[in-house]
Amino acid sequence: MSIAISDVKSQELYCPEIAKITAVKRFTEKEKWFDIELPGGRSLGHQPGQFVQVSLFGAGEAPISVTSSPTKKGSFELCIREVGMLTKLLHKLDVGSTVGIRGPYGKGFDVKSFKGKDILIIGGGIGIVPLRSLINYVIDNRKDYGRLIILYGAKNPDELLYPDDLKLWKKSNDIEYHITVDQGTPEWKGNTGVITTLIPGLDLDLPNTITAVVGPPIMYKFVLMSLKTKRIPDENIYLSLERRMKCGVGKCGHCQINHSYVCQDGPVYHYPELKHLQEAI
Amino acid sequence: MKKYQLNNKQLPSFIDHLKKQGTVFAPHKKGDTSYSFEKVENPNSVVLDYNRTLNSVKKYFLPPREHLLSFSKTDNSFRKGSFKNEKKIFLGVHSYDMKAVLKLDYNFSQGNPEENYLQRRKDSSFIGVSFIPDEFHFSQSVGIPLHDTEGFDIYLEQNSDGYTVKIITEKGEKLIDGFDRVSKAKDISSNHVQFQNKLKYNYNRLPEVFEQSWNAAVWEEVSKKCVGCGTCNLVCPTCYCFDVEDNLDLSLQTGTRDRSWDGCMLNGFAAVAGGENFRETLAERQRHRVHRKFKYISDITGEPWCVGCGRCTAYCTAGISIVEIVNQLCDEYEQNYLNRPAVVGLNAERL
Amino acid sequence: MTTEAKIKPKVAFFDFTSCEGCQLNKLNLENDLLDILEHIDIVEFREAMDDKAEEYDIAFIEGSISTPSCVERIHDIRRRSKMLIALGACATQGGINAMKNLHPIEEVRETVYGDDKYLFPTLPAMPISAIVKVDYKIDGCPMSMPEFLKVLKSLLAGQEPIKPDSAVCVECKLKENECVFDKGMVCLGPITRGGCDAICPSFGQFCTGCRGLISNPNKNAMLEILTEHGISLDEAKKRILLFNSYDHSQSLPK
Repeated sequence: MSIAISDVKSQELYCPEIAKITAVKRFTEKEKWFDIELPGGRSLGHQPGQFVQVSLFGAGEAPISVTSSPTKKGSFELCIREVGMLTKLLHKLDVGSTVGIRGPYGKGFDVKSFKGKDILIIGGGIGIVPLRSLINYVIDNRKDYGRLIILYGAKNPDELLYPDDLKLWKKSNDIEYHITVDQGTPEWKGNTGVITTLIPGLDLDLPNTITAVVGPPIMYKFVLMSLKTKRIPDENIYLSLERRMKCGVGKCGHCQINHSYVCQDGPVYHYPELKHLQEAI
Repeated sequence: MKKYQLNNKQLPSFIDHLKKQGTVFAPHKKGDTSYSFEKVENPNSVVLDYNRTLNSVKKYFLPPREHLLSFSKTDNSFRKGSFKNEKKIFLGVHSYDMKAVLKLDYNFSQGNPEENYLQRRKDSSFIGVSFIPDEFHFSQSVGIPLHDTEGFDIYLEQNSDGYTVKIITEKGEKLIDGFDRVSKAKDISSNHVQFQNKLKYNYNRLPEVFEQSWNAAVWEEVSKKCVGCGTCNLVCPTCYCFDVEDNLDLSLQTGTRDRSWDGCMLNGFAAVAGGENFRETLAERQRHRVHRKFKYISDITGEPWCVGCGRCTAYCTAGISIVEIVNQLCDEYEQNYLNRPAVVGLNAERL
Repeated sequence: MTTEAKIKPKVAFFDFTSCEGCQLNKLNLENDLLDILEHIDIVEFREAMDDKAEEYDIAFIEGSISTPSCVERIHDIRRRSKMLIALGACATQGGINAMKNLHPIEEVRETVYGDDKYLFPTLPAMPISAIVKVDYKIDGCPMSMPEFLKVLKSLLAGQEPIKPDSAVCVECKLKENECVFDKGMVCLGPITRGGCDAICPSFGQFCTGCRGLISNPNKNAMLEILTEHGISLDEAKKRILLFNSYDHSQSLPK
């Protein structure tokens, strides 16, 4: 194999754009929400489910899912969990601070092919972050889609994200919204139990329902089992994987699962593609 | 193809001739028993008769450490790392290392073509040299003939008096143009080199072996000997994984975003910030490494991504041999998938 | 950044059972020392000055814990320090001192102090983290200067320093060093935590494991490598335990 490298148009891949934080909200002890504006209010141009590389000079870069819908113009939103050094520093930032942004990267949910379908969202923990982008997209294009069913699970009530959205989803007449926590508190009046407990009770139009699943690695196995029991065809399932996506452009190798670079072919995968990837789930 | 004869005595003046045309890099002696590619200052210190260099010429296109950006926190400004625009001539490259460069060209130009690699890579000429395979070389077994000239502009084949100079490309023609001390190629016999086949199967058959390699016993067995030091990754001429880290200067205001070679055999390679490590065991990591050389990229390109340089084996302090791993996979494949009665019956029918 | 005087963090250095070589090593920072002093106030540093303050933003601790009075003193320092950093092999992992733990403690006392042994109460040598919470560790014997600077810079920039966790081999390969095994030596680089820029092999010397071992080290495989390269199993274990007795003496095969 020989490539005429002088014919290849090379790209500068590692330069971030300097973007401004325009709003910050704390959701929980660990998660904060940020509204971010690119220079000139340019749109990020992402698909629901894609991610950006967020960086602070001197501290490094990390992949973060975009949580706003592409239908939102002028700025985009991130919800960041404090898990490492960089995210800890990001949590200290306030309105007016700047961050470096590269991206959007990877494959998101193929919202065009979902048109006319019912959408079943299954989000565990911070898995709801990229899913909220899809949810808002569907809400903003409501007539293009059928039912919107949201299943959301968290460890406990204190870890629930997006309090304003949750109220909205609950109130809305055309969203079927079910929530559960692994462990309740005395004040908690809703469901308790893991997210899979919400699945058997659903009344679904099977061939017409697209399922989007995002959650911690441990959740996938169990959710997929429940979906199988529910006879949801594999072709109708999409899920998003977490890996160490260091470069975002398919070079550094950290996110590789077999031949697939999660930062390029994922993070959102069509389940039939994933079944052949060893190590994926 | 034009051929000349270059005697050993003429080599230094040939190197001087090359130096007038660009920066020349060639193998030099390093340490007690090793070699490395270095910029040529003195033509007499170039060693063309060597077994292998510690690192391949990859280091010139994907440096072990490089600044991706220099930044200032004060005003949030940054500059890209710079690339020296110079004509580079690599002298004394073995055929397997040339092939490795061509493979990296693929990796860095497909998908998102990377400026850093491609800028460094352009304006390079390669002058190959033949070599005598040692116990670790197996490039021929992965489909790279000893005298494979693909990628070279000039190829030097050792003979009893020096080298037969074969001009492969127009670029090669220009490189030698004006050097009048070469004579017409004499009919001197080349060193006849035996290159033993070391892999049990022809490389064309490896894809079928690697179809069944996931649960092989060899991964667990090898992991008992392996310490996960990452040497096999770092010396590999077709490995290109890297890590990125920011470093601040003492001013605490300015610094650099740096990348350095990384390896999938290392502990934290597949670990995410939340703590999950997606390839925690040495067996999983070994399997990933070998599959990267023989399956993952190969399934797409149709070629092994291992060039048979033997570095990972020669420099493994634990004595782990990639040839032995692949051969054991062939054995396991035969035992578990080929010798089953059903398959034998099928073969018999075909006969 | 503004030019107005900012409040510099108060930094103190303390030493416990050690050769104090790490502290002296710092004074060799010559080129960078003045830049560092732009950012910090050194309030306690026995090797260089004699000035006491009550509370510290960062306390650097050299040496291991080996007497009852060490225990008392380290508790006291911890109480007065916002951040406590172990400096050098003795402090981070017990270091060479912990070799004494391989022998019965009474025997050790007698060998060292003879008849006066009852005047010198002693404990098994321990890293600082065995007694108090340690925020960061800077490994090495002596501690690695590049790592010291890196940690200091991170802390001053309000970050958490990242602990290196790959083997010394990685740094050797990045520098294209000839492997010291190929020079006929045996080396602990394959399982020793990097971050020292492979300083010993870069100067033709083998790695003694002074920075402690990487996470999940395959010690059995390392022993096999060492014995395959010509040293006895007993000698191989001694090599590993030279700096790693505290953490690893129990887990090596008998």
